[in-house]
Amino acid sequence: MSVTNQLKGVRVAAGVAAPAAVDEPAVVARVSFHASLHNLLADIQSSHPHVRTTAWQLAGRVGAVAVQPLAKVVDDGEMEVSRAAKRAMWQIVRHVGRPGGDRKEKDAVVNELLVVLNGTKSVPVRREVVRMLSEIGGDESVPAVSSLLSHGDLREDARMTLERIPGEASLQALKNALNSAPKEFKPNLAQSLRARGVKVQGFPCKKLVPTKQTNVKPLAAR
Amino acid sequence: MKRTRKVSRRNFLAAAGAAVGAPYLLPSCTLARHGRPGANDRITVAVVGVGGMGGGHLRDFLRRRKRGEVNVAAVCDVDENRLAEAVRISGPGVTPYRDYRYILERKDVDAVLFGTPDHWHGVQTVHAAEMGKHIYVEKPACCTIEEGKAMIDAVNRNKVAVQVGSQGRSQPEAYLAHRYLVNGAIGKIHKVACFHYDSPVDEDPVPNSDPPPELDWDMWLGPLPWRPYNAHGCHGVFRWFLESGGGQIRERGAHVMSCAMYWMGADGTGPVSVEATGTPPHIGLWDSAVTMDVTYEFKNPDWTMTWNQHTGNAVPEEERRPGESPISRPGYGAVYHGDRDTFVHWGGDGGTWAERKCREWEPPPGAKDVYKSPGHKEDWFNGIRTGAKTIMNIEAAVGVANLCILGNLSYILGRKLYWDQEKMEIVGDEQARRMMSRPQRHPYHL
Repeated sequence: MSVTNQLKGVRVAAGVAAPAAVDEPAVVARVSFHASLHNLLADIQSSHPHVRTTAWQLAGRVGAVAVQPLAKVVDDGEMEVSRAAKRAMWQIVRHVGRPGGDRKEKDAVVNELLVVLNGTKSVPVRREVVRMLSEIGGDESVPAVSSLLSHGDLREDARMTLERIPGEASLQALKNALNSAPKEFKPNLAQSLRARGVKVQGFPCKKLVPTKQTNVKPLAAR
Repeated sequence: MKRTRKVSRRNFLAAAGAAVGAPYLLPSCTLARHGRPGANDRITVAVVGVGGMGGGHLRDFLRRRKRGEVNVAAVCDVDENRLAEAVRISGPGVTPYRDYRYILERKDVDAVLFGTPDHWHGVQTVHAAEMGKHIYVEKPACCTIEEGKAMIDAVNRNKVAVQVGSQGRSQPEAYLAHRYLVNGAIGKIHKVACFHYDSPVDEDPVPNSDPPPELDWDMWLGPLPWRPYNAHGCHGVFRWFLESGGGQIRERGAHVMSCAMYWMGADGTGPVSVEATGTPPHIGLWDSAVTMDVTYEFKNPDWTMTWNQHTGNAVPEEERRPGESPISRPGYGAVYHGDRDTFVHWGGDGGTWAERKCREWEPPPGAKDVYKSPGHKEDWFNGIRTGAKTIMNIEAAVGVANLCILGNLSYILGRKLYWDQEKMEIVGDEQARRMMSRPQRHPYHL
């Protein structure tokens, strides 16, 4: 019996070796037909890169229940394991966003992402989650994302996510932030509001204003 | 300010925004906004991004400078080492910059060439157009659907000449191939099968680190979401990131599919559906598909284009050319399937090689001729001087870039996408529609 990874065109037969990549030794992928959190987490943390890769490609089937444990691996894991866990989270986000997908499944993933966003102090993890919410988040995500507009390391990502989430809630959050944000961040917020079609008074656009100097000197004429 | 043909040295230096020695400029025309140099006037150019491709363009401009075709006013790079080298080979009279926006302010610069990574192409083209500069920008034109629309709008509103760097269309054998196909030599074409080898893998990944002192990492990233510097994350390897170079489908697909769209008379059209599968890298920082298969369905007329990216693909064996220079890029190209015959070309970028039967084909009486490019830069210069559409104008280039973007989006999302060419948008997929645009880091935005 084979499991077709519809997402990546990878065909892996249950319980047998995954297809070996060119010039790589064959590895065994422990893939259950009923993709489980236990197997996903075990394979994501495998020392075999092909096992990790196969695992993250199938993470969509595991879904919301994997979001928080994967976030922990992203934060704690060795470099390549962390990367595989991050890719697994993205795979879940892309899977639940599919047309005709189960709305409850998507809502569950969004809720889990919000738990991670509110519950972890890790800036890299929160940055990644904010970006994930830009693809599938809605009004329910706006309060948590908006709260990051005052976070020095994450406010720009939060702004960009609010710019992308459609609807009045995100737009109002940007407007509110423009009133209350520190002076140096207001032009950023003005940029997002203009991108959303809002006329903004003040805070002229700075996109064409050069600011950076070089230390390289031209050659003198001979 | 009244514009005169000659710019005084003092005014020029003030506009340059940098302390310079005695300039080495030969007289150039100072253009009014939207002006065009005359047939015998040198075009004054600047090069932004002087690494791989940009460095090659700079050396080409320096040869053209010797022939009296152009002035080179400025070079720009966010890597001070690369910038210093560009200054060294350019000689006196060429002003270095880190920030391309200084160049856009210069009234003496007619045209700017952008040899920067893909994630800068949309923003820089829009900025340059808004400042009245003619533009040569490397391919693919854009990274998102929204960028492409903004580029078309800015270029047309500001009436500047744009050439996008899919120079395969301008190659001598590309002309022969185009003429051969347009005249029905293989019959009605129902399929174009593009072939290419795998994308590379970051086999020996390294941890993130501080950027080297010579690199302005903030400005290298530009509009991209912030990420920490990684030695395997720039310069030329931007090609293997989905958010920027996008892998081989953009790196070479933009060339091979550019030829296909042109020879099929399909510029300005788009597919109705796109479906991609692929294999990701098993390790490392880069995330573009290593192998990939994409199918584009076009309607009215009905035809199919495929992109097959696999080392060990059953690709046509390169044609032997005894007594001639060999095909130097045999690993990629396309097979055209007509109802009477097939046709193969190799390359499609810096070299385009057509099968012998095409090169030896004699047009019968009454055969259609097609445009023969005088050369990709020459075609651009002609566009600058006369306002004529270039061979890889912004609309055509955005159309090709959209094929690459849609292929990657289908791969990333793991599902078939449907496209409305008239509205230039994805239909029926909210997540994919959100991904048609990408909010940009302040202040590096459209």
